[in-house]
Amino acid sequence: MADTAVRRPAGAAPALRIAPRTLRVLLGFCVLVAWEVLPRSGAIPTLFLPSLSDTLAALADGAPEYGRHLLFTLRAIAVSMAVACGLGIGAGLLIGSVARLRRIVQPLASGLYAVPLVILYPLFTAWFGIGPQSKIVFASLYGLLPCLLGTIAGVQTIDRQYLLVARSLRATRRQTVLRVLLPAAIPTVLTSLRIGGALVIVGVVVAEMLTSAEGIGYLITRSRTLLDSPRVFAGILLVVAMVFAFDGLVRLLDHRTRHWRLSTRSGDGGA
Amino acid sequence: MSADASTRGAAATRRAGGWAVWLGALAVLFGTWQAALSLGLLSPMLLPPASAVLATAWDLVRRPDFLGDVGVTLAEVAVAFLVAVPLGIALGVAISESDYWSRVLRPIVFLVFSIPKTIFLPMFILAFGITFAQKVGFGVFSTVFIVLISTFSALESVKGDHVRVARAYGATRRQIALRVYLPSMAPVLLEAVRLAMIFNVTGILLAEMYAARAGLGQAVATWGQNYMLRELLAGILLIAAAAILFTEAVRWLEARCEHWRT
Amino acid sequence: MAGKATPLPEAPSPGAGAPGPSLRALPSRNGSIRVTGLEHTYAAAGRVTKALEDIRLDIAPGRFVVIVGPSGCGKSSLLMMLAGLVAPTAGRIVCGGRALTAPDPDLVGVVFQEASLYPWLTAQENVEFPLSLRRVPRAERTQRARDKLALVGLAGFEDRYPHELSGGMKQRVSIARGLVQNPPVLLLDEPFAALDEQTRISMGDELLRIWEQTGKTVVFVTHSLTEAAYLADQIVVMSARPGRIVDRVEVDLPRPRTYAMMGTPRFAELRQRIWEQIRSQADG
Repeated sequence: MADTAVRRPAGAAPALRIAPRTLRVLLGFCVLVAWEVLPRSGAIPTLFLPSLSDTLAALADGAPEYGRHLLFTLRAIAVSMAVACGLGIGAGLLIGSVARLRRIVQPLASGLYAVPLVILYPLFTAWFGIGPQSKIVFASLYGLLPCLLGTIAGVQTIDRQYLLVARSLRATRRQTVLRVLLPAAIPTVLTSLRIGGALVIVGVVVAEMLTSAEGIGYLITRSRTLLDSPRVFAGILLVVAMVFAFDGLVRLLDHRTRHWRLSTRSGDGGA
Repeated sequence: MSADASTRGAAATRRAGGWAVWLGALAVLFGTWQAALSLGLLSPMLLPPASAVLATAWDLVRRPDFLGDVGVTLAEVAVAFLVAVPLGIALGVAISESDYWSRVLRPIVFLVFSIPKTIFLPMFILAFGITFAQKVGFGVFSTVFIVLISTFSALESVKGDHVRVARAYGATRRQIALRVYLPSMAPVLLEAVRLAMIFNVTGILLAEMYAARAGLGQAVATWGQNYMLRELLAGILLIAAAAILFTEAVRWLEARCEHWRT
Repeated sequence: MAGKATPLPEAPSPGAGAPGPSLRALPSRNGSIRVTGLEHTYAAAGRVTKALEDIRLDIAPGRFVVIVGPSGCGKSSLLMMLAGLVAPTAGRIVCGGRALTAPDPDLVGVVFQEASLYPWLTAQENVEFPLSLRRVPRAERTQRARDKLALVGLAGFEDRYPHELSGGMKQRVSIARGLVQNPPVLLLDEPFAALDEQTRISMGDELLRIWEQTGKTVVFVTHSLTEAAYLADQIVVMSARPGRIVDRVEVDLPRPRTYAMMGTPRFAELRQRIWEQIRSQADG
């Protein structure tokens, strides 16, 4: 906001301004160009930031190797995701709907959330070795708490009227859980899945970066010790792509539940 | 008056209940710990008895080399925090100041926020080497976006009506900032401080574990590699306790500010 | 729904959620409601509060009774008890000749305040919901829900989701859901409270039309004096703290009711009488 006057425009929008979306695309384009030009011109040492084309070339160059390690990483992610999200969401639904349980678990879980879980990873490598097990345990734990906390909070926001209606119709407990509680909780469950799932991905990669002999994280660290910046960046790029792909997938699911969200009485705080 | 006393009483029981929950959790932790040992599920090599670990913890907090590591980590955490929080708040306010720029930049901030910062750690090493600046830089990088986003939501939590009322009674810009914005934003900002600290500490410990010559993270990583499980577990317990105490303290402050929000 | 009057042997007792016979029209049970000595107390913040005291009601089948009173008088609690959703501390509710202790959707249909429709179901599916809980065959379920939606004037809106419907339409769906099991009694808890004035009046007319067509016993809770006088055969006036019945007003305005009646002296008189009852209690 350098030259354009930032005074609140009183009413009419200034005519000269570009639509925010267009400007965003333009900015993105500028970043890509800068990424290419600055390292090439020597304004930024290529050790710190290899140019975009070098990074992509490194990625294409090492494609078979990246593919093999990516597969390894994806396997660990899949298992951890199932554990973290399955356990977190399942337990969250249960705990959120039983008030007495919630009053015990919620403060504990949100207190534990403050603990920097990375420090547990050395313990897991000591216990489970440096193979995939230690990564899976660590990443599962890393993604579990946000899933759990998010789902508990989500169950809380379910309109009590929904349950009252079910009760007035003499729904059984099973019917109430399956046909009211579960569908009503789906939007929040998906939000928790998005946050927890991203953490699981990061958890696996970070664990691989710390101690491993396989996986994308291991490739990144190996390239770093060899000072092979383009390959470091290629690895980072892959992980970012993985996170975005997962995010997009959950968003797609989320889009199918728009009926839920659009008609909540007070609108919910997504994002 | 009696109603006031009764609510205060209720708050006191809730606090007592909170302590009971934590004590219960500790009892469960140490209980399963000892049970796992006596049932032979884990060898004492992999899981030393709790008493030995607690003794080691007591020993650690008096050892100069450990205290030195704590000092290094605390310094990194403090500097990163003192840079990241004002920076994040200033950026957040600056972006929100203009409707247009907040419409342009907010989606970008949210997009960047959704990218995990931890995987950029190697980049910081390539740029700064293994130094104090690298740890701090990475800490700031891990923290600044959560502060930025919290600032957005803090600004949104200011009720338009409250501002309009103040304006109608002729409050100056300064008065509005100090007497409407600040109290409205305080609880959200405190939450931001809490979250920022979590992100910050995690980032710096990770940076130390990844590559460092000193600091708590480095100590923990070394203990793990050398199978010094007593020290490792003691360190984990100490760090966890410190982190929980810090956040609970901020949360207590948050609760005290909560009545400002209506 | 004249075709529903096929005589069926009465089911012994509605076992909780048991897959009972799909058609339980129970023609022998009428919509009479008798409440005696009803009381409700609850403990909150270490203090026992009396919410309802000595409630007596005697409602003949097919009557339209409106319960009106200030907020906090326990009128909604009373309705929840009539629905079997809240257990009274003392007293007895007899509905259709049998003591009511738990929700009985075959006997009592409930229309809640706004936003009680399930947002993940379409209008049609929302109305079918009570039937699907009892495993009514799909074809029958679809037909009955369709009929009820048509009855409330929503033919053609079957596939809309709640967020695609206006506030008034949502409450029409709620009414259709309340009626789909063909209960002799329909309870409505401030159903139009969230609607604007015009919609409110036309929804009142709709409800009267549906009531006249189906002959249900209706108990309607509201805090609007106009709504009470416009809709009711009898108005039950309640006071707050503790919630008691302070007056019963027979409304002798002719039916069908029209908007113009609101301007008549008789209407004003009725409103005045209720208002004074409520005000004297509040001042005292």
